[in-house]
Amino acid sequence: MRSVRPAVALLLALMLTGALGLSGCTKGSTDIVVSGSTTVEPIAEVAGEDYAKAHPGVSVLVSGLGSSAGIEAVGVTRTADIGTSSRDLKDNEKKLGLEVIPIAHDGIAVVVNPANPVRNLTLAQLRDIYAGKITNWKEVGGDDVPITLVNRDESSGTRDAFTKFVMGDTAFNLDAVVLPGTGQVREVIRRTKGAVGYISEGFVNGQVRALAVDGITPSPANIASEKYPLSRKLYFLVRKDLSPEAQGYVDYVLSDAIQEGAVREAGYLPVNPKGGPRK
Amino acid sequence: MRDMFSEDRERLKELGPGAMDKTARNEAKRARLLKERLANNTALAVLWVAAGITVAALILIILYVVINGAPMISPKFIFTWPHGVSAKGGIWPTIISTLYVTGLAMLIATPVAVLAAVYLAEYAKQGRIVTVIRFAADSLASVPSIVMGLFGLAFFVEAFHLPMSMLSAALALSLLMLPIIMRATEEAIRAVPRYIRWGSYGLGATQWQTVSRVVLPWAMPRIITGLVLAMGRAIGETAVVFYTMGMAINMPLTPLESGRSMAVHLYLLAVDGINLKAAYGTALMLMLMIFLLNMFARYIQRRYRKVR
Amino acid sequence: MSAAYTPQPLTQQTLHPEDEGPFPDLAQTQPRHKTAALTLVSRATQIKERGLLLLFFACAIVAVLGVVLIFAFVAYQASGVFPNIGFLKFITGTKWSVAHSQFGVVPFIVGSVVVTIGALAIGAPLAIMTALFLSEVAGPRARAVIRPAVELLAGIPSVVYGFFGVTVVAPLVARLFGGAGFGPLTAWIVLSIMIVPTIAMLSEDALDSIPMGIREASFAMGATQWQTIYKVVLPAAKIGIIDAVILGMGRAIGETMAVLMIVGNAPQMFAGLTKPIATLTSQIVLGMSYAADDFRTALFGMAALLFLISMCLVLIVRLLSRTGKEG
Repeated sequence: MRSVRPAVALLLALMLTGALGLSGCTKGSTDIVVSGSTTVEPIAEVAGEDYAKAHPGVSVLVSGLGSSAGIEAVGVTRTADIGTSSRDLKDNEKKLGLEVIPIAHDGIAVVVNPANPVRNLTLAQLRDIYAGKITNWKEVGGDDVPITLVNRDESSGTRDAFTKFVMGDTAFNLDAVVLPGTGQVREVIRRTKGAVGYISEGFVNGQVRALAVDGITPSPANIASEKYPLSRKLYFLVRKDLSPEAQGYVDYVLSDAIQEGAVREAGYLPVNPKGGPRK
Repeated sequence: MRDMFSEDRERLKELGPGAMDKTARNEAKRARLLKERLANNTALAVLWVAAGITVAALILIILYVVINGAPMISPKFIFTWPHGVSAKGGIWPTIISTLYVTGLAMLIATPVAVLAAVYLAEYAKQGRIVTVIRFAADSLASVPSIVMGLFGLAFFVEAFHLPMSMLSAALALSLLMLPIIMRATEEAIRAVPRYIRWGSYGLGATQWQTVSRVVLPWAMPRIITGLVLAMGRAIGETAVVFYTMGMAINMPLTPLESGRSMAVHLYLLAVDGINLKAAYGTALMLMLMIFLLNMFARYIQRRYRKVR
Repeated sequence: MSAAYTPQPLTQQTLHPEDEGPFPDLAQTQPRHKTAALTLVSRATQIKERGLLLLFFACAIVAVLGVVLIFAFVAYQASGVFPNIGFLKFITGTKWSVAHSQFGVVPFIVGSVVVTIGALAIGAPLAIMTALFLSEVAGPRARAVIRPAVELLAGIPSVVYGFFGVTVVAPLVARLFGGAGFGPLTAWIVLSIMIVPTIAMLSEDALDSIPMGIREASFAMGATQWQTIYKVVLPAAKIGIIDAVILGMGRAIGETMAVLMIVGNAPQMFAGLTKPIATLTSQIVLGMSYAADDFRTALFGMAALLFLISMCLVLIVRLLSRTGKEG
């Protein structure tokens, strides 16, 4: 503390760090950048961790910014090697010439509080509930309890799918609580008697009850066959010039280790439950 | 300052109203005094209650986090990686990322902030430029963190093509820390008694010699306190880091690598709501870190008082 | 801010009553570089001193540059609001629907205002009373416990408050008032706890800077302690306390992650204390992850709005401090 030398030392350290950082760019590691749907993010992340462990020198960087951002990152700005999406490509996105690889099935379960006697809703009823036309459970055969709507945020792939399957062009009732996470939706429905929400089928547990839609229960079989009306696939999107490392990663995601592990853990169904990696 | 008067104040608190009672002879006066005293006591009781509520809120939040988080804390939780879809396991890379980005932001912000404060306190003439600089520093301190985050994204990441990385986040965070360190340093420098400077000038030292050899060393403990508090602010920051550092779980080696800070990790866990246990653990670790920093700042302040 | 400018240490003020500006200008009493020519130092030393002065000045300008850059960049990103959305539609529109390209931000402005005012209404009195307690009532021992506690409360990251809000306060509000527990009421409770330490610490600084003499005078006139606080101390510290409240307000308006977690995020007009609403900050975060084109522009427009609001608050604090000093 005799002089300001610490300050000078700090400055030097800063420069050194900067220099190190720049030289760090050139070291021989390969990054696989995976970016896109928050729905796919957990699977991609877990697979990335394991893949990087098995392949020293490769690191997989996963970010979840939404399906649109992912498609843009891989197809337009080329900042990502792999884009992930929980929806089909839109027309203008199809022009990008990306290869579409399904990696999982997802069924969206409509969930209510276990104390709610309602067991089934038609798609039309569901739409009216979320549009705010039906506001009390007695209108759909339940108790005289006002409906508390729980919605997901607009960046959520689950909401995207729900909009597509149920709402169509009908606008959501703005009065709905918008929650940014599956666990939160489940928790709010667990503690609120009149609440209704939607989450991936894999996250349905004893705390909430999944309803049948149009008389079809969200069972794994019904989701895989897409008989259940709220079923969809999750995708990887890659360019034609995919690097061998990234291809290896894609194959790994399609292998049993991830399909039976992370995919199920994340609440989804494997895309090919029996087969191994496929081209 | 406060210590100088605290004794007087204590004495006055006892003497003030009490002394009046003795001199009051008149019955009506006494009744009025009684009423005043009642009002006084009621008001003071309300103040006690208000302070009590504030402290109770603090205790509630701390207890809540500690009780829920403590069972999670173990070497395994601290030193292993999160794995699986709902981030089971530990939080080690997020701890490292947090320390990394905070340290880097410190390295960037400290020299600039300290020298800026030296300018304001020692060199600048009071005038329009100083007013503008002060106003800018105040404004910088009050920029909402989400605005800072969007700026970081648009400026460092998009305009300068830096990746979402430690460096981008550190640059944005350093803007956030700059006014805090500046203020602390300036106050510290102004608290240096002027006779010390006169002594230095009297010996023929130049202004820079005086500043670097006399003023800054004297002010150092308070500057360090300011630094530590700014660090605490950076560690707990979420919105800025969210848009500049990304959220990939990664052990950063170079400043150009992405990572996930503890605050962002906590935010994601809490918002997702699947693995709340890890969220409690992370919250506790975050609070512990900031608590330790606070203690450190306090320790430095106390030591410095003794030296004086 | 006011922590630095309002409370003037007594001794310095009395020593230099002629000083202007927030601080007594120490530099005035020192040899300046201009007079260095008179001293017996070499030319090289003089040049070095000049160079250092320039360096320091450059560092000081960084703060100015930072603010200008932040505003310029956010405003630049938001400038599309004018041609693409229409400024009037943006600022007076009451409908927010990304799907229909409607970007009216009135619901969010109302949301931010409702949340902030409520949090202030609960938090500010609590904070000021806590400050009064610390400065006027508490003995040294109570002070030694409560003051660090308040400081610690100020250091807790906002995301922890949000977490606390979503896991404790929201269920509680839901149980008491029905609904899902997300909305302005929950936000008020959490935000008021959050801004108490900010306001309390700054208010206490203001109170501590009141000369002991005027309290003594009040007691000598026979005033009780409460009369002294209410009629003498509070009016004297008024400006400093208002500053503190305004800064607390800035914190509440700008708070992002905690608010996002508890406010319910429904892009609708404020309709009731337990009905979900959205604020400027929460809507930016929710939208930013997937925003593109006009939507993104609108979000940056909201950020620019937030920036301007916070600048206005700082400006008000500045003007208040100035009038306070003159008056």
